[in-house]
Amino acid sequence: MSYITGPEVVSYACTCGLIKPLPKLYFCRHCSQIRCSFCVCSEVDSIFCGKCSENIPSAEATMKKNRCANCLICPSCQQELSTRIASKGPANPTDAKSPIKKTYYLSCYFCRWNSRDVGIPDQPSATGGWPQRDNVHSHRLQDVVDSYKQIMLSQKHKKEHDKKKKIGKFVSYTDRTGVTASALRKKIGIPDTPHALLKKPKMPEPAVASNDVDELPEHLITTPLNLMDITTVEQRLLQPESQPLTVDKLFPVRKQLSIKKSLRCRCCERNVSKPEFNPSSVKFKIQLFAYFHIPEVRIVSLSPLVEGVPSELILKFTNPTQHQTTITLLNLDLAEQENYVKELTVSEVAECLEHSLSLQSKQPGSLTSISVGSGSQPSSLLSLTPRQPSITVKPRKIEQHVNCDVEMPEGAFVLPPRDDAAEYDESSDVHNVEHDPKHVVWRKSNKAFIKLLVVPNANLQANQDVVCGFSMEHIYTNILVATMENKQPQKSHHRVRIFFNLGKITRE
Amino acid sequence: MSKNSIKIFPGAIVCEEAKLRGDITVGSGTIIHPCATIVAEAGPIIIGEQCLIEEQAKIVHRLPLDQQNKENTPVLIIGSHNVFEVGCTVEALKIGNNNVFEAKCFVGNKVTVTNGCTFGTGCVVTDEQILKENVSIFGAKCHMRESLDKPAPQTLQMETLVKLLPNYHHIRKPNCKH
Ligand SMILES: [Zn+2]
Ligand SMILES: [Zn+2]
Ligand SMILES: [Zn+2]
Ligand SMILES: [Zn+2]
Repeated sequence: MSYITGPEVVSYACTCGLIKPLPKLYFCRHCSQIRCSFCVCSEVDSIFCGKCSENIPSAEATMKKNRCANCLICPSCQQELSTRIASKGPANPTDAKSPIKKTYYLSCYFCRWNSRDVGIPDQPSATGGWPQRDNVHSHRLQDVVDSYKQIMLSQKHKKEHDKKKKIGKFVSYTDRTGVTASALRKKIGIPDTPHALLKKPKMPEPAVASNDVDELPEHLITTPLNLMDITTVEQRLLQPESQPLTVDKLFPVRKQLSIKKSLRCRCCERNVSKPEFNPSSVKFKIQLFAYFHIPEVRIVSLSPLVEGVPSELILKFTNPTQHQTTITLLNLDLAEQENYVKELTVSEVAECLEHSLSLQSKQPGSLTSISVGSGSQPSSLLSLTPRQPSITVKPRKIEQHVNCDVEMPEGAFVLPPRDDAAEYDESSDVHNVEHDPKHVVWRKSNKAFIKLLVVPNANLQANQDVVCGFSMEHIYTNILVATMENKQPQKSHHRVRIFFNLGKITRE
Repeated sequence: MSKNSIKIFPGAIVCEEAKLRGDITVGSGTIIHPCATIVAEAGPIIIGEQCLIEEQAKIVHRLPLDQQNKENTPVLIIGSHNVFEVGCTVEALKIGNNNVFEAKCFVGNKVTVTNGCTFGTGCVVTDEQILKENVSIFGAKCHMRESLDKPAPQTLQMETLVKLLPNYHHIRKPNCKH
């Protein structure tokens, strides 16, 4: 599929103003808006190992440093290692009946690395017990981690302490007069002791830079280099703690865990994509991909492009939904979008300013607010506003240069609903769409070919890509409202800007 | 091109649908699948014992341009226990024992293959070189590494094929004696 939709020939403008091909877009049914990877929130749904397909709870994953306890990958080529059986002779050679002793070693089917290459002894059990390499820096790392944990803890305490201070109903005399407790202490002559909880966390010993570097080993210059003994950069970075220089120090690495993520619309905080929990399943519980909701447009044919001369562009429109839709083609009108973005920004700035002003005036602690009445609440809590998402994405101006005019055809055309059975039914070629405008040149089931005239700008350079675009307005049938409230499906007009990269000018 | 002269030792399984051109000798225990292609263009090809040549594999004896027009006709000797997997193209000058040519790999006619080498899937090796023993070439960037031992022989697979292939294909009759 990606060979058809992959090259960015036809791209759609997301609500946020970014331009992406249709398969990379989502469609939020609740907002009836297109969303892209930039305007959705990603959340980790589950953590699993891609080899043994085991789900791992996030706490356990953190403890195991996001690596699988059972699976190992090849230090040479980063593919997964498999366990192989090597049978040694009977455990007791004199007794013919004694069972054959089995041992296990690790082997890579891809590059033929195996655990015997680096001298790891074979193991008596298949499930492992593979020797763990000790990290030489583990003490230092532990020190640093501990001190950061302390910082975290002390900051948490400080926050709680500050909160308590603010909530405190009794305004102390010192707060009013501006004489602090520490100032009072000094006056009386008691040593100023800082709060026990706000003690500065102990920092680890700083690392010391050293000038002493080993001398350049002579063999580097005198003996020829065998590249097969030296590790590659990838191999070294796979084991950052040891960074082996030669291949005989490559040891198996625990496999990193993978995640399944769900995506949430940032405006309504509802899922647009949610995978099934089972790690071995590739299906989705929710998949609101734009590909299933927005009519798909593909280029069928294009006559040679000459600057300033109209050429014929035939497009194929496909209705992916189970509902009939009507498509109207309109001018791109990028100026309108720009204005919309500007207005939105201005109104938002004003809102922000208002909000911060209202907060400032209600700042607790200041004398005015106390005199007015301690029962006052910030205005934002009193007015019941709908749940606002924590982060909103501001739409931006569509940054797409267009250098080719499109002559807009008059009249809308109808696309019948998708019918999977029609693909196999030769007789259903007859369609009952009447009054087709003349720019519809062919149609079959839910598809139609539309003829357009495009005129590349007269002053185009030979090596420039010719880009044209238009707005497509289609009727979107939202069945979500119908199923929730037992009503008729809600129909609405949805508009999306589509851009076409038509290639380069043909020169005689 | 000279007339086809195919010599097959007893115990070899050579399917009739395999395309064999030129002077080719097949050692005992070697299996040549249908639709494998072996072309002895520049001189005879001698294939050792217990080799496995799979479908769509191509073994071509074709000399580099600068070595053509020489008096003596070179012989391409392929050792024993080599595996030529589906769709590989091998034009190597000389092939030792226990080598594996994985699916769709390409070995050019300036390469000398010693023993125990593995050419990974899709790897293209064309530069003039004599490969060390037990070298494996793998990955999109044709990384090389040296192993301690040779790849494991495909004994089980070969035993199955010896039983299975004659049931479904016409087999060329051996025409040589030990
Ligand atoms: Zn977006
Ligand atoms: Zn695992
Ligand atoms: Zn490997
Ligand atoms: Zn939404």
